[in-house]
Amino acid sequence: MSCYRAGVRDAASLETAVPHPLPRLPVPALVVGIALACPGCLVRVYQPLSALHHPVVVDPQLPNLTDTDLDLRCLRGKLLSNHEAGVLCDKLSTLFENQGALVRTARGAEVPEGGAAPPELESRTELTVELRARETDESKHPLSWVLFVGTFTLVPGVLEQSFAQDVVIRDESGFLLMSDTLEGRLVQRYGFGPWFGTTILDLTRKKLDRLGKNSASRDLSDDLYGQLSQQVFNAKMRAQVLRQASPIGRTE
Amino acid sequence: MALPLESPPAIEVLFFGGRDPSPGPNRPKEWSRNLSCERWDAVAGSHRYPGEIKPPPPRGGYVERFTMVCREPMLRPGLRSPLDGALLGALQTSTVALVDAAASLRPDLAGSTWLVEVFVPSPPVAAKLAFATKNALMGRGLSVSDRTPLLAAGDVEVLTRMPPDEAYPAACARYFATGSLSNSDALLAVVSRDPRETIVHAGICVAGTWTWLR
Repeated sequence: MSCYRAGVRDAASLETAVPHPLPRLPVPALVVGIALACPGCLVRVYQPLSALHHPVVVDPQLPNLTDTDLDLRCLRGKLLSNHEAGVLCDKLSTLFENQGALVRTARGAEVPEGGAAPPELESRTELTVELRARETDESKHPLSWVLFVGTFTLVPGVLEQSFAQDVVIRDESGFLLMSDTLEGRLVQRYGFGPWFGTTILDLTRKKLDRLGKNSASRDLSDDLYGQLSQQVFNAKMRAQVLRQASPIGRTE
Repeated sequence: MALPLESPPAIEVLFFGGRDPSPGPNRPKEWSRNLSCERWDAVAGSHRYPGEIKPPPPRGGYVERFTMVCREPMLRPGLRSPLDGALLGALQTSTVALVDAAASLRPDLAGSTWLVEVFVPSPPVAAKLAFATKNALMGRGLSVSDRTPLLAAGDVEVLTRMPPDEAYPAACARYFATGSLSNSDALLAVVSRDPRETIVHAGICVAGTWTWLR
């Protein structure tokens, strides 16, 4: 114990004796400086957890939904703001219109608390697609942030978010045709270390295997659009069969 | 096979990317995509996978631990076509749902002998679907026959040229007219109507009358 104290005293005396060539900066300022010097040092990776990576047979670039009337409802909630729900609806609207559907979007409705059903539509078209996104889990990994600061961002600070996209498709009478939950996970690794390592490794990887830049957004979009195209096509086929089974309107 | 994989905050996982199932320096995207994962907290996980997932300390921990439990696919990815993979991936749930629909919509057929015919593009998948459907029928206590109703070559030639909406009712009528199906038989047909869909439909043929169920 005494030796340790002596060591500390020695170091302190040396510090005062030798003048610093650079102005002294406190450690937190140094960390902030490094972080500011590398504002884009973020690697975001996406991992499908369930249903998002199921096989897709339908080609979203072909006219699979010719002459299908489609109502698209993107519900806002804790995960998606009103604006984000609108952007999602716009993109999906384009996706389905490219496949030949006549799309009508309804946005702004809020996901009710406790997972209750959203307010009913006044009128329905051939298919009504309801989308609600929710966060299933979030982890901040505090230990990783301690190391992030302690190693000057060489060790990543990790944020993790798991999400679920509920998809419900009904026919013109409100009968439930399809219902599924697509789950995925986004892991964000901050810091110069992971960014530099990923950038270097990406140089040796094939384009599809790269993890940097926007690959997480691109992969998630590909999975989501593929699954939704498949679900809507399946629902359309099921609606056709049910229409033949019972031409009279059904109720759930 | 369950493959419990611990993810952060363990330091070796953070730094070396050891066992986190998300894509990383030593974990290719393709490997990560092929896993089916569930996230468990320490309490629920230690009950579900005792011995593999550690329970939380009695007085709680400084950090919240969770475990991703991932399952690797049984077959090498790419070995099956996407359609076959989708149909077989939902084999149990889809066949049980079809049988539930048949049994609940036609309770009057409880005393009939059920036959199963499957119309999907791949014969091996058709065989698996037929077996699973018969199994689900037997699970409901119904009597099932392995007999396959047959049609003459001329009938098949005509039926294959017809659109599905007409072909299945016509085939049903011919089965009954030729005596391939009797009054005491009920044929449950499992049908893929379009090669782009990943679900199967079902119809029942009873006494020469065809009905779509689902």
